[in-house]
Amino acid sequence: MSTVIEVSGLSKRFGKVVALDNVSFSVGQNKICGLLGRNGAGKTTLMQLLTGQQFATSGTIEIFGRSPVETASVLERICFIKESQTYPEDFCVKHVFASAPWFFGGWDAGFADQLIDDFRIPTNRRVKKLSRGQLSAVGVVVGLASRAPLTFFDEPYLGLDAVARQTFYDRLLEDYAEHPRTVILSTHLIDEVSNLLEHVIVLDQGRVIIDGAADDVRSSATTVVGPRDAVDAFVGDRAALSRQGVGGLASVTIHALTSDERHAAGDAGLELSPVSLQQLIIHRTNSSSREFEQSA
Amino acid sequence: MTIDARATRPATTGALTRIVNVARLHLTQKGTLLVLPWLILGFIFLVNLLIWWILASALPPADRFDAEEGMQFSGASMFIFVYMLVVAVQAINATFPFALGYGVTRRDFYLGSSLTFVLLSLYYALGMTLLAELERATGGWGLGGAMFDVVFFDAGTPLQRFALFLLAFLFFFFVGAATAAVYVRWRSRGMLVFFAALALITVGLAWLATDTGSWPLIGGWFTENGALGVAIWSLVPSTAAAIAGLVLIRGATPRT
Repeated sequence: MSTVIEVSGLSKRFGKVVALDNVSFSVGQNKICGLLGRNGAGKTTLMQLLTGQQFATSGTIEIFGRSPVETASVLERICFIKESQTYPEDFCVKHVFASAPWFFGGWDAGFADQLIDDFRIPTNRRVKKLSRGQLSAVGVVVGLASRAPLTFFDEPYLGLDAVARQTFYDRLLEDYAEHPRTVILSTHLIDEVSNLLEHVIVLDQGRVIIDGAADDVRSSATTVVGPRDAVDAFVGDRAALSRQGVGGLASVTIHALTSDERHAAGDAGLELSPVSLQQLIIHRTNSSSREFEQSA
Repeated sequence: MTIDARATRPATTGALTRIVNVARLHLTQKGTLLVLPWLILGFIFLVNLLIWWILASALPPADRFDAEEGMQFSGASMFIFVYMLVVAVQAINATFPFALGYGVTRRDFYLGSSLTFVLLSLYYALGMTLLAELERATGGWGLGGAMFDVVFFDAGTPLQRFALFLLAFLFFFFVGAATAAVYVRWRSRGMLVFFAALALITVGLAWLATDTGSWPLIGGWFTENGALGVAIWSLVPSTAAAIAGLVLIRGATPRT
């Protein structure tokens, strides 16, 4: 497998604030990778570092084998769509789409026009006058139609309604199938994108707490549901990621079970249910902040 | 693990193409950059025309000469130079984060912006030269007025006058570019320090000139060199500002 992103020992401090703390991971070519985590976890900072917009305090970043900072041969293959993107004064929407092909070798004007229709973007309007959702849609169109070998979407759909978000997912998958590329998607709407992702990286307080194939991550935990006594007996000494109870019933999320253990649970009259990516991340970020508080 | 074979290849687009593309990005806003300044200057011109007409009809012919002499010091067209400084600040500040999002390096962004400023300087210098020649040919638009053909831009041949305008525009554009680079790099804190330092240096130099009694010398330098000579000397601060801008931009990060 070819590696597109290789990060090792990466830290970034802003004064006393540690935004990223010794982060290491790699992303393979033509993967759709979810960069997930709470607000302030360091997602945007990480993407700015990966696109050469910020300078690392320590550690190394290799994109297509080279540092992205001021490297034209790397940067010309990157498209970074961020939620807070600012546009030049007096830019109309059509100016954005007219200028994009000068910078993205793989720009597909026909695809862009189709997306503009899909998202109903008014092209003659000034960017400043767009609604939040329309502004996000402009970014999404640039990100998809640029077909950059490495595309970053940082919270790309702020203000987009459910229909528009689904359109984004559909178009992304369709186009990805025909033109494979590496996509890094940062979002809060974890369950919505869960099926898109092949690789998941979860940041919490500047550190990587989960890094793995989406399927492995999803199957790394399971929820045991049943009568409280039976659940407690089965869970025993196992570490519980979360514990909930109503009346005599309990539901406890624990790490993945072997098939023997799954049989044992069935014999004990317990139900096993999968854990959604979103729930798993909530459990893991909660527990990591508890550990953090304890160690502090 | 193997690294993508295409990794170490050079960029597909040449450096010059990338720089020209940044200039095209700036020049997308044709109205603001190419038309609006002329419209504002046109309005100022109309007001001046009105004043000249009032003077011409009110003054007895004997005093006309004095009035025309005085108009030689008109600063009415100064607006366009200051406006270009603002254009440079705006262009750098508003386009920098956008260009980085498009995968442009800071170096290419700055060089492309500089190319834009040189092109705009040529464009406006040409326009100002034509207006100055027209003003001279029509005897001050038939009213003895002066707005473009004034003492600050007095430089013999039309070509020399064009050079003078060009150098003046370059000076204002690159001072604007350097100022914007300070802002992009350090935001409002940088601006505060920058202007405080500028004020201190200006006052310091003025004090030095007064203390050593060198004001006549400085005045002499200006008259000796003439408008064009001073403009040629402006290449020193213009170049310094251009280089400072590049150095500062290369360490700048877009606001989050």
